[in-house]
Amino acid sequence: MTTPAIDTAALTRRFGEFTAVQDVNLRVDAGQFFGFLGPNGAGKSTTIKMLTGLLAPTSGSIRILGEDLTQNSAEVKRQIGVVPEGMALFGRLTAEEYLRFVGRMYGLDRATTVQRTQELLEFMQLADERKKLITDFSHGMQKKLAMAAAVIHGPRVLFLDEPFEGVDAVAAGTLKAMLQRMIARGATVFLTSHVLEIVERLCTHVAIIHRGQLVAQGSLEELRAGQARADGSSPPGGKQRSLEEIFLEIVGTDREGNPAATAPEQELSWLG
Amino acid sequence: MAGLEAGKLLPTAAQEIPARVQLAAVAWLRWRIFINSTFRRRTTGTRQAVGLAFAILVRIMVWPFLALMVIGPIGGSGFFAWMAIAGNHPQRLAPLLAAITLLWLFVSVNGQNMAAVVSNFDPSSLIRFPLRFGRYLVLRTFIGVLTASTIVGCLALLAAAVGIGVAKPALTLPALVVLAIYALMNVFLMRMIGAWMERWLANRRFREIFSVLMALTVVGFQFLNFQRPSSHGGIGGRSSWVLRILHSSGSQLHWLPPGFAANAILQVSHPIAALTQFVGLLASTALFAAVFAIRLHKQFLGEYLSEGASRRANERSSQRNAARPQRAGAVAKIAPAENARPAFPPIVAACLRKEWLTLRGNGAQLIGMLTPLVFVVILNRSVFQGHSTYFLPGAIAYVLFGVLAGLYNIFGADGLGVQVYLLAPIRLRDVIVAKNLMSLAVIVTEAGLAWLLVSVLARTPIPLATQVSTGLWTIFVIGVNLALGTMRSIQAPRRFVPGQAQRRRMTPTNRTSGLLIMLVLFGSMALQVPVTLLCRYFNDPWLGAWIFGPLAFAAVAAYALLLHNADRFILAHRDVFAEELCKA
Repeated sequence: MTTPAIDTAALTRRFGEFTAVQDVNLRVDAGQFFGFLGPNGAGKSTTIKMLTGLLAPTSGSIRILGEDLTQNSAEVKRQIGVVPEGMALFGRLTAEEYLRFVGRMYGLDRATTVQRTQELLEFMQLADERKKLITDFSHGMQKKLAMAAAVIHGPRVLFLDEPFEGVDAVAAGTLKAMLQRMIARGATVFLTSHVLEIVERLCTHVAIIHRGQLVAQGSLEELRAGQARADGSSPPGGKQRSLEEIFLEIVGTDREGNPAATAPEQELSWLG
Repeated sequence: MAGLEAGKLLPTAAQEIPARVQLAAVAWLRWRIFINSTFRRRTTGTRQAVGLAFAILVRIMVWPFLALMVIGPIGGSGFFAWMAIAGNHPQRLAPLLAAITLLWLFVSVNGQNMAAVVSNFDPSSLIRFPLRFGRYLVLRTFIGVLTASTIVGCLALLAAAVGIGVAKPALTLPALVVLAIYALMNVFLMRMIGAWMERWLANRRFREIFSVLMALTVVGFQFLNFQRPSSHGGIGGRSSWVLRILHSSGSQLHWLPPGFAANAILQVSHPIAALTQFVGLLASTALFAAVFAIRLHKQFLGEYLSEGASRRANERSSQRNAARPQRAGAVAKIAPAENARPAFPPIVAACLRKEWLTLRGNGAQLIGMLTPLVFVVILNRSVFQGHSTYFLPGAIAYVLFGVLAGLYNIFGADGLGVQVYLLAPIRLRDVIVAKNLMSLAVIVTEAGLAWLLVSVLARTPIPLATQVSTGLWTIFVIGVNLALGTMRSIQAPRRFVPGQAQRRRMTPTNRTSGLLIMLVLFGSMALQVPVTLLCRYFNDPWLGAWIFGPLAFAAVAAYALLLHNADRFILAHRDVFAEELCKA
């Protein structure tokens, strides 16, 4: 049995009396393209922050590539790359300066840092904007730069929080190709996205978090077959369903199984 | 992308990343941020030249003040230290060191508050890199050292050591060593306070309260300063007051770090006593360093202490709102009865309500509005004592100066929300009217209260001619600034995001119009001076009214004309408007 890339046990995070994430047991095997889904406020970003060491769990454990994150955070952080929620860029640097800084912080030698910086700028089509400060970049350009910074040290596990948000179709295609290539070379990608089509097209495995609890986890096939649901229930009908249908079916109900939202026809009748 | 295979070129986990590499990277980062913030311009050609000329002009104007702020404490520390030893008043050394710490703290805390606003570098974001805690601690301490307060504080202590050495050469070495440790203690003390404040200041409410407290401190200090009995006369009287405070606080400082440091220097001829005091100083330094390290360690582990408190407060607030019963008449209040005549057109009323809600939610701004009024009282006791003719225009000018600046960027705080105005089927003139009405309400309230205060405080009745002249001048100043402010708000808006005020750099248009604002603001205010002199020269108190009457009329007419053309004007400038305010 191989060491999982990400392994959490009873991961919980509370903010005062509010429980953002509760008893999450995630297992992501090395080489998987893993999609982490959930409605707004479900606990996706809190989970990803905990997995990358930016936020301490209230209880539970996290192991990345077999290493305990709390015990060996420096070692773990050298093996992972992160595109965090706010991208964490330094606005008053140029893209080149930023990548050089990140490369050096990850311990790359000067020559490798410079070489990779040039490669990444070319690859992300940012090479023509050398003199522009990051603060003057468009949102999409900033996203591409954040992605470049996340991979400059060749991480074995990549965490991406909404990586395609605000990125144009051409750039999104480039980024997807890069991620696919990383997977082919043995890396693990863990991403959150609201765009279910992207997750369906890219990811081999999916987990769904709802109100802080993991409600489904498994391969897309398992999810479609209903084997991955935490409550063990089977999906209605036997046809091949889209991820969107599965997602809505799982999170569209409350904990007792009742429809979570009021039926649309009962509201906004004035809309005509 | 051949080199980016997963894990291939990564140094193996067993290989430690050398500390110097990461330290050098952070030092380089800080340096590049400084260079890019100071010298980079995104324009070329004539616009760049204008921008550069303006930047040089601003620096020429600002740097002498900054130099004074730096040279003052440094020179003062050296002089007072020399005076304490040479004048045989060694008990004054501890209060001097305490004063340096307080100054350091004041500048540092304000710098921290300012950093929360202007900072483009969040040092806590370094935790995402592969760092061990010890290195993170060093980095954070190192980053904190590169601040103006630390540099000025250290230089002030060095000057004090030099002052002591000049007065008594035998004390040079002990003074240098002890004050070096004292400087280190101050660094850790400031970092300790800074580390806690950094988190608290992330909370908007705390930031507002803090700003108010700092404003009140400054006002309170000014107030106390003018409250000093002037019987001693001028600077001599004030310095003797300062010396009395320094003298009386000496005994209280005996068991505090300034006392430890001072005694460790002064008791050098009694090694045991001096050593005991020195150990006390070292223990204080270690204590502050430890508390700072504990806080940072929690942050390093991702434990944001105030986050829970903040969330709990939000939850409580949400629960209160949820529990609050819906008022039966609420809907009826929002939708007025059809036959009732509203005071304002619906668009203006809606925008006014939005402006009021924004103002009401900004506690710091509301309380900050009271500050100029306190200064009116101070001005009465100092500058305008016995000059009631000048008191009224002086006080009104002082109050207006602060509030009029806001007229020059009325859309700035709306940020992306300004798109609602552009997309909605409304006349933008109505939005401008609503915003200006709210500004006018604030200005008139402030000016009215100042007027009332002046009437109460003035020892002799203010002549009617002065009152009429001041009234017309006030209308003129408000009219001119309203017209030009509105024009500038459309022509060169600047997005203002609380907490990120300086993150967006100024465009050349912003800079040029910024200079124009200063000229108009100062010019319209300063016009009162020559007019008052003319009144005195011709011995005609009503001359001011004759001059300001037509000017006030012209200013109001200019504003009305601008309002009439506001929609066309915005249309002509919508590109700039959208570029600055609507860009995410």
